[in-house]
Amino acid sequence: MLSAFLSAFKTPDLRKKILFTLGIIAIYRFGATLPSPGVAYGNVQQCIAVMQEGDTNGVFTLLNLFSGGALMSLSVFALGIMPYITASIILQLLTVVIPRLEQLRKEGQAGQAKITQYTRYLTLGLAILQSSAFVALARSGQLFQNQCDDYPIVPETSLPTWVTLTALVTTMTAGTGVVMWLGELVTDRGVGNGMSVLIFTSIAARLPSEGWTILKNQGAWGFAGIIAVVLVVIALVVYIEQAQRRIPVQYAKRMVGRRMYGGTSTYIPMKVNQAGVIPVIFASSLLYIPRLVLDFLRSDNPSSTYIFVEKYFADPTSWSYITLYGLLIIFFTYFYVSITFNPTEIADNMKKYGGFVPGIRPGKPTADYLGFISSRITAPGSLYLAAIAVLPNLFFIALDSQQYQNFPFGGTAVLIMVGVGLETVKQIESQLMQRSYEGFLR
Amino acid sequence: MPIGFAYTLIVLLVITSAILTMLILLHRGKGGGMSSMFGGGVSTSLAGSSVAEKNLDRYTLLVGIVWLACIIGLGLWLKLELAKPAADTTAQALSAFLGR
Repeated sequence: MLSAFLSAFKTPDLRKKILFTLGIIAIYRFGATLPSPGVAYGNVQQCIAVMQEGDTNGVFTLLNLFSGGALMSLSVFALGIMPYITASIILQLLTVVIPRLEQLRKEGQAGQAKITQYTRYLTLGLAILQSSAFVALARSGQLFQNQCDDYPIVPETSLPTWVTLTALVTTMTAGTGVVMWLGELVTDRGVGNGMSVLIFTSIAARLPSEGWTILKNQGAWGFAGIIAVVLVVIALVVYIEQAQRRIPVQYAKRMVGRRMYGGTSTYIPMKVNQAGVIPVIFASSLLYIPRLVLDFLRSDNPSSTYIFVEKYFADPTSWSYITLYGLLIIFFTYFYVSITFNPTEIADNMKKYGGFVPGIRPGKPTADYLGFISSRITAPGSLYLAAIAVLPNLFFIALDSQQYQNFPFGGTAVLIMVGVGLETVKQIESQLMQRSYEGFLR
Repeated sequence: MPIGFAYTLIVLLVITSAILTMLILLHRGKGGGMSSMFGGGVSTSLAGSSVAEKNLDRYTLLVGIVWLACIIGLGLWLKLELAKPAADTTAQALSAFLGR
């Protein structure tokens, strides 16, 4: 294991990539703690301390978790990668609806690049919307649920207010653009997928302080219990992530000129969880929308609809929220697999090179067979994702529903962290394979 | 600290923000993020970055540094600005005290 790390650092291009990724992460964390112009850093810290003492549930907890605590402090990278994720979801869902996008997706590389470009534009549009929304929330004090009105987050200065606000919104929007760029740089020149690496960083950055809070509030035994649950979850995640079904493929022997090709038997690996952690990220970012809408509509005497939505769809401890969350994860798993896994294409490729699954005719029957297996294997995969994301939460709610609020040790966060970690290590390993055969995972 | 300082910084900040956003959008989206995951593993690192892309990187970095400097400068200005009223009130209290 250690020697693998050593050899990863001995390989010059890999070392460069790893160091580059670490550098980007450092920049990202720096921007996440740097307050935007016009935001009083001291006051924000006061407010966060007030919020942590009171037991009101933080509103944007999950979002705050995804941005690594940057959101609450209205830092330069406060919005983090959330707008980019939302934009990707919107465009992916639109591909099903709008024929033009569907056509682009089928075009291959060029069309894909165009869709990416649309996603980037949409990201910045969303960033403007969200940053002005958050600045408005912060100014009215609702970001901290009016618990902290004594310390204005955006204090009055000798500048006119609108100038300060313009500067704030502009900075945060540009900051979102920079985060997007950083992510792309990591994908391009570093290791792992940039966006997931950045999410991973944000969640990991919250771990020490949250762990400390738990240790303080629950005592050593409660802390040990939580760590044990987390370890079990990690083991489960790794177990399922590595699981795959191998579909045998036989290649026919062919003579081309004087040389013999094919005649080998191989397999198509079908992972139980083909979708990775993306369904979880999608589901949780969709579910925070009701919360966001509620906070914009907050008033002193809420209507009955407001109370209904708040009770059943915005409270992470209610049964309806948890059920909806699980169902969304299952939906997104199927959705994602249906987009990424194309049985017809694989069957056509196999036919072209003279391969077949023993006992199944090449062409359409093979495609049907692969589609059938894929949809059947995704069923346990999606159930597993939903279970891991939901079950620990149930456990923690049973333990102490107050403490549950901003919780990086919940299933979602652990799932994302382990998933991204595995993905990244695998990528490093495949690069290492080009030089030597010893890897991290055996 | 003169108010003109803050105005200059804010104008510079807004301009650099706009330029930075534009430069970032000019980059060929390297399919970072979710859409590349959606793309079904079409290899994105097809070609090394072109000369244009390299220059673009350089400009973006340059504008980014100016942008960051503006933010830090404004942060420092705000800190001084917030410290000032407190000093004013003590001065007023002192003068009131001395006047009496």
